[in-house]
Amino acid sequence: MKYGDKIIYMEGIITEVEDGAVGVDFKGRLGHIKVPRRMLITDYPLKVGQEVGLNMSFLEVLSPEVNEKYRSNLDRQRENKEV
Amino acid sequence: MSITPETAEQHKMDYAVVCCRTEAGKIITAGDLEDPAILPDLEDSGLLTIPDNCLKIGEVLDAKLTATIDSLTPITPDIVEGANAIETPVEEIEEEEEVVKTPKKSATTAGNAGIFKLHIGKGEDIDLEIPLGVGTNGVASQTVTDTIEVKADKTTEEKQEAKKVRELIKKHYKIDKVEFGPETKIDGTTLYIRENVCDDAVEVNDLVKSIKIDIITKDEYNKYSETIMDVQPIATKEGEDKLGTGVTRVLDGVVMMVTGTDEGGVQIGEFGSSEGILEQNIMWNRPGSPDKGDIFIKTEVVIQEHTNMERRGPLAAHTATDFITQEIRDALKNVEDESLVVDEELIEQYKRPGKKKVVIVKEIMGQGAMHDNLILPVEPVGVLGGKPNVDLGNVPIMLSPLEVLDGGIHALTCIGPASKETSRHYWREPLVLEAMNDPEVDLCGVLFVGSPQINSEKFYVSERLGMIVEALGVDGAFVTTEGFGNNHIDFASHIEQIGMRDIPVVGMSFCAVQGALVVGNEHMKYMIDLNKSKDGIENEVLSCNVLCPEDAIRAMAMLKAAMEGEEVKDAERNWNPNVKENNLDLIEKEYGVKVERVQNEQSLPMSEKRKEKYS
Repeated sequence: MKYGDKIIYMEGIITEVEDGAVGVDFKGRLGHIKVPRRMLITDYPLKVGQEVGLNMSFLEVLSPEVNEKYRSNLDRQRENKEV
Repeated sequence: MSITPETAEQHKMDYAVVCCRTEAGKIITAGDLEDPAILPDLEDSGLLTIPDNCLKIGEVLDAKLTATIDSLTPITPDIVEGANAIETPVEEIEEEEEVVKTPKKSATTAGNAGIFKLHIGKGEDIDLEIPLGVGTNGVASQTVTDTIEVKADKTTEEKQEAKKVRELIKKHYKIDKVEFGPETKIDGTTLYIRENVCDDAVEVNDLVKSIKIDIITKDEYNKYSETIMDVQPIATKEGEDKLGTGVTRVLDGVVMMVTGTDEGGVQIGEFGSSEGILEQNIMWNRPGSPDKGDIFIKTEVVIQEHTNMERRGPLAAHTATDFITQEIRDALKNVEDESLVVDEELIEQYKRPGKKKVVIVKEIMGQGAMHDNLILPVEPVGVLGGKPNVDLGNVPIMLSPLEVLDGGIHALTCIGPASKETSRHYWREPLVLEAMNDPEVDLCGVLFVGSPQINSEKFYVSERLGMIVEALGVDGAFVTTEGFGNNHIDFASHIEQIGMRDIPVVGMSFCAVQGALVVGNEHMKYMIDLNKSKDGIENEVLSCNVLCPEDAIRAMAMLKAAMEGEEVKDAERNWNPNVKENNLDLIEKEYGVKVERVQNEQSLPMSEKRKEKYS
């Protein structure tokens, strides 16, 4: 990674709480992230509307190549949806 | 930041660096010195260079500074008066092979997290750029492979007879062919599955929309599969026998494999799923994975759209699969021909008075959805009768080692294919086997504790765990966990609860690079990293980074050393796979045994993704 150490403090709002996952909108309309519950640390019972903080960095595309394995899985998923 | 006299005493052999601007003539106290724990981070960031002649904390305390120096200046002999000479500890005599550093790939940046606190008394035009790693609560991420020393056990043997508590017999039936037929039955070494069994299985739960069975033989390992949710043995109890005692019948050469998606085609495996070509995604012959050559009875369950993230979704997929398994179990119960038994395995549990009493604590997931486990079903790895640990409040529950090995845990297995413990893992759990069969220790039981979501709940169950372990009066304990994430918070807390009662405790988890611990405490000294992957990551290969026999052997050697009061070396700052290799070499040398090393993903046919990564 070329810019790996540019760590930025970010905040977000919990938008959905599922049994298996939690969705978060980043403040400032900077995107959305959905993570397994296991990857979220909390002192409080989870509720929609709570604020979260995290350190993160920019996403960098690693190479121009397409990973065929993941690509074919995605295509398969899309086909299933259309059926 | 300055340190306390106690910290200075603990770190008297570490380098002395002043934390703030210090005037000439000052008598140096602990309060003037920087915390040695953060010095490596400061060095990494280029803010500090420690010269060869830098004095140690023990040398500079109470000495007089002869020059005025800025903050973060290492103290050298030319600027102090009256430095104390301290004794350097005698070099370790024990043979220790030098650790060879592997060249670190630039892509794997291990977090050198830490706190950096700076006090500036006075100043102007100060520009500081300080990289800070990730970390929680300001605790530096720890690498967890400590080095152990193994000494042959020379304690005086007390002549007390071991007493058998109970036994379990596993009767193995060989299956070499699985076919569809008019009814589910076992005929010789062929298993027939009723052709229309899925029509009934689909009725089990409203959420199940369709179910399909694929029979996968060795020649079809190159087929595509949805993400593997679980791998399960096919076994049943004889007559009225209860789980963990009596006779269990088990089919060899065939396993149940649960896979599925929701109606929208989204994998039930949540995140980090392992869909794709089977042989590229399975680490063969791990305790929890299929053995190479096994026939898979693979169910592909489709559940109602969007229920893949709800608790009832994955459970429905498991229940529907279990309907089919139960029909096979019933067929297995009806087999009368004793000549079909190819192997009769006797597993005995002993109480060993006079030996070191140990307990195994297994932390299992309990955050909900597929982060759940059914404890003690009626049939081995069944559904009926099993209680979800989430519903039980995740509190610790004691199982006998035989109950564990008899399918007492039906795992709904969560995320992270490489580190999750499948139902089959518990069926052949290496640490339970190692501890139970070691004549030098007295394994009193296996304590399962769930990992809830919220920190206060984590500490609630952890404190109960501490009380149980205290009441058991054990001499040592193992704490294991699967995967990584917030479960490391309770993992650390369990170790603390046991450690603060002066009981030596060995912790086992996948950590390496990607799963580096988010918290730590002073009791986390004896740690075993379960990583097998080349780069120390969750590599999406089923069961690659789980607890294997070689880890059980290391953990046992480490706990024995800890119970004898031996210290371990401090962990290195960054993950170094050679530590594990050195420990295994030491064990082999001291015990005169050969420890089989398991293979990692490098032995599998490469997917495009991995080719790219390792080329």
